[in-house]
Amino acid sequence: MRRRGRKRRKNVAYVAGVSMTPVTRTLGKPHKEVAAELLAEALEDAGLEKNDIDTLVVTPPNLAGPPSFMFVCALAEYLDLRTKHINMVECGGTSGAMAIKTALNEIFLGRTEFAAVIAIDQRFDLQPGQVDINVFMHEALQTQICLYGPYDSLYGIGAPIPYYAMSAQRYMEEYGATEEDFARVAVMLRNHASKNPLAEYRDPITVEDVLNSRYLSPPLKLLDCSPFASGGACVILANPYVTRPLPKPPVWITGVGEWHEPDHFIPQNGSITSFTSVKKSAEEAFERAGMEPVDVDVAEVYGVFTATELMIYEDLGIFPPGEGYIAVKEGKATYGGNVVMNPSGGRLSLGHPAAATPVMEMVEVVRQLRGECGERQVPGARCGLVHAEHGMLNGSIVFVLEV
Amino acid sequence: MKELITKVTWNSIQHYGDSASVKYYEFLKNRIFRTTYCDTCQKRWFPPRKYCPNCFKEMFKWVEMANTGTLYAFTQQERSLRFGKPDVIGIVELDTGERLLTKINAPFEELKIGMRVKLEYIEIDENITLHSFSPVK
Repeated sequence: MRRRGRKRRKNVAYVAGVSMTPVTRTLGKPHKEVAAELLAEALEDAGLEKNDIDTLVVTPPNLAGPPSFMFVCALAEYLDLRTKHINMVECGGTSGAMAIKTALNEIFLGRTEFAAVIAIDQRFDLQPGQVDINVFMHEALQTQICLYGPYDSLYGIGAPIPYYAMSAQRYMEEYGATEEDFARVAVMLRNHASKNPLAEYRDPITVEDVLNSRYLSPPLKLLDCSPFASGGACVILANPYVTRPLPKPPVWITGVGEWHEPDHFIPQNGSITSFTSVKKSAEEAFERAGMEPVDVDVAEVYGVFTATELMIYEDLGIFPPGEGYIAVKEGKATYGGNVVMNPSGGRLSLGHPAAATPVMEMVEVVRQLRGECGERQVPGARCGLVHAEHGMLNGSIVFVLEV
Repeated sequence: MKELITKVTWNSIQHYGDSASVKYYEFLKNRIFRTTYCDTCQKRWFPPRKYCPNCFKEMFKWVEMANTGTLYAFTQQERSLRFGKPDVIGIVELDTGERLLTKINAPFEELKIGMRVKLEYIEIDENITLHSFSPVK
């Protein structure tokens, strides 16, 4: 009852339609074709037509390059879309969530009835001999120094794994967690993914498999990490003042929270096992929704490494500080527990096309709240959460969704 | 290839850093370990910057950073763009308060969080000398 009244207030919108591709190594087709297929499927899901869309927001179709200058304009032409707003949004791991928030802002401004958000990440699968090694090194070095800055990058950081590995090491030191505790997270997520036909990794694994996989950056091993992947997703957001009847029940976005600390990767002060941005963004989203962490039935979070996943559970307020690994051990984060975390399989097993990930998270939560998830349906899910982060959790966005 | 890496690295430091980044590496080349200091706010800033992010006045002053500190966290990279294996890196908290990513000159297995470490230098190329740290015996 309480929820019904809140929906009429300002700054609330709902998700009308969703679509997503399977997560794979490569999508095997050009970005624009993927975008057209995603939009068509989401429009059908929403019971809408292309001309109903008056805002289009995208993320760069390959987050870390090569360049995608003016991609959104080229895509609008390809889709023959006339809109009141188009935009391409990039902010690292939060890009997809930021694209959703940009579309929400257009709705809250009162300028938009229906907004489409399309996020695609297509890795370039280069074969030896396909590219001039000098050209490749030139671009790779520039990208690396741009991303990790003129100080850290000279120590050879090529992927963010070492930062998160040191965060994982501190988590073990501070809370007494072990590599086995991290392995249990990977096993739980793989179990979830085994029931998701869109997931990249579905074959069951054991704690021993994770412990026996090779170290990428200790204490993190291969199966503690989410590999690069390709995939795309689309959500169609609707203005609450639209009165047209739609075929599917609305899934309301009742809370949004966002916070960014100035630190880019290594904070100059403070913890690397608990993050202000995640805490503040969750607190804001829950407050706006009038909900508490304990109300969450299902959540999709941006845990790109097993240890990181646990820290996010804790900073969101879903489990107490330092107890995320105990909750996973006791089965509290899966079916039959307090809440189901990452029923899609999460970043580790659904797979992680970074730009698309936050939008994929929202697609999963919307399908869960509609009750469309079949074998992996979270029974009676009414309240869901979507989380994304950038720069080793120094920036974070949280959405609370309700039916 | 080494020539390309040297050139692109130095150009990119200037493009993605600022004039303080260039000066920081010029200091390191001469084995001087300093960061910028704002005289107005009386505050040290690391990484170094041309302008104080508090008052936005230009920081003309460079101050010494401690050549000793404590190992806050560490790991080892399987693959590294610039160093062969074993490539042990860590976060060191200097006695002057700065926290930085650095190379650790010791086998991974011998390290412990909280260890005392001291500054050393590694020469990379004609422009770049990096700081690195070793456990204090």
